[in-house]
Amino acid sequence: MKTLINLKINGREYEVAVEPTKTLVDLLRYDLGLTGTKKGCGTGECGSCTVIFNGKPVNSCLVLAIQARGAEILTIEGLKPAQGLHPIQQAFVDKGAVQCGFCTPGMILSASSLLKKNPNPSEPEIRKALSGNLCRCTGYQKIVEAVQSVGKDDERR
Amino acid sequence: MLLPKFEYHEPKTLTEAGEILRAVGPDASILAGGTDLLVNMKRGKTAPKHVVCLSRIEELKKTAKEQEALTIGACLTVAGLREVEQVGADFKGVYEAAGSLGSPLIRNLATAGGNIVTARPAADLPPPLIAYGADIKLMKENGERILPLEEFFKGPGETAIEPGEILCSIVLKEPPLYSGGGYEKLGIRRSLEISVVNVAAFLALDGPSGAINEARIVLGAVAPRPIRSPSAEGALIGQEPDERLFQEAGQKAAEDARPIDDFRASAEYRREMVKTLTKRALKRAYEEAKVREWRRWK
Repeated sequence: MKTLINLKINGREYEVAVEPTKTLVDLLRYDLGLTGTKKGCGTGECGSCTVIFNGKPVNSCLVLAIQARGAEILTIEGLKPAQGLHPIQQAFVDKGAVQCGFCTPGMILSASSLLKKNPNPSEPEIRKALSGNLCRCTGYQKIVEAVQSVGKDDERR
Repeated sequence: MLLPKFEYHEPKTLTEAGEILRAVGPDASILAGGTDLLVNMKRGKTAPKHVVCLSRIEELKKTAKEQEALTIGACLTVAGLREVEQVGADFKGVYEAAGSLGSPLIRNLATAGGNIVTARPAADLPPPLIAYGADIKLMKENGERILPLEEFFKGPGETAIEPGEILCSIVLKEPPLYSGGGYEKLGIRRSLEISVVNVAAFLALDGPSGAINEARIVLGAVAPRPIRSPSAEGALIGQEPDERLFQEAGQKAAEDARPIDDFRASAEYRREMVKTLTKRALKRAYEEAKVREWRRWK
């Protein structure tokens, strides 16, 4: 039986009918077409489905859509400003931190969550904050460099 | 991976949760953080007819300090546990263990209670909680009971929880003066890792540079459930803390361990590592005792 839920995604109010068995990542991708959030392992190990759920990064494959009733969700589509790229996105482009791109949205959201709490993280702090996001192209070095390079006083990030 | 069909329940209070559990009967699973249950359901290991989600029950996410005890709501997330000031100040072993559980993303979902009720022999939180002498509060429609956490575990995935019962909180008594705890985890990698071996230690001293009058050593992933090491504790009590004594305690702990061979490590290696990790956890506990004492005078 479907249940009607309200939630806010990327600042926009949604009212959707969901089956209890539907995960948040499936709601985002298949019902709402927000395919920037990737679906990898489905068991919380790869981090490609990372979204910001009420201010905290989580694996959206381990959250039921129905649990998101009343929640505020931020996906990679919402991080990107109307014009141009978010400073972290730009840094990933500039540093060549994107290879196949599958882990990138999750990496960027985890990084944005770190930079909000800690504007000047050390390399170990960056590696720790991104440790739930796997890159199977193993481009970790460039990813860490990209996060380190994000402008310290960039207001937009 | 798809989830098997189930009926979803979302109680807003503990009382309501108890009523639902009684009404739907035994074929129900409690959903807290979901990092274990949803994975097991996707993998087809379990397919409950009813899923009772606790995430809307605010009282289960609270922490309270009363009568020199810290009560931690079972649905506080593992990341949230690290944000409780007293956990960082007085229960360093728990703080460290919470920081090594899963990944940052998992820690934002997984709950303190979930890491207990799943009863995995290698779980991160139970050893330090037992080392600090934690109690747990279980609730059923006809009342609640309090149990030492140490007595809760029966074997892998098996606990003393009764059908319809909910773990509602963890109670930690304020540790005595001149005491401290520590946690050491060994994995193959540093994140998203299941312990090959983990050890938690707790030490209380007679005075600032006194002998040890209380010691608890808890070993994880070397028995069907987290176990105390009576031999190591016996070797420590009444002695002055120093490196040589900690080494000896490690030796004793290795003798108490009952590890098995599996794909993560051999029994022999695990036993050897119990020795090292016990020594390190004791060092950490002793350091913590000194830091807590220093902080008190600051």
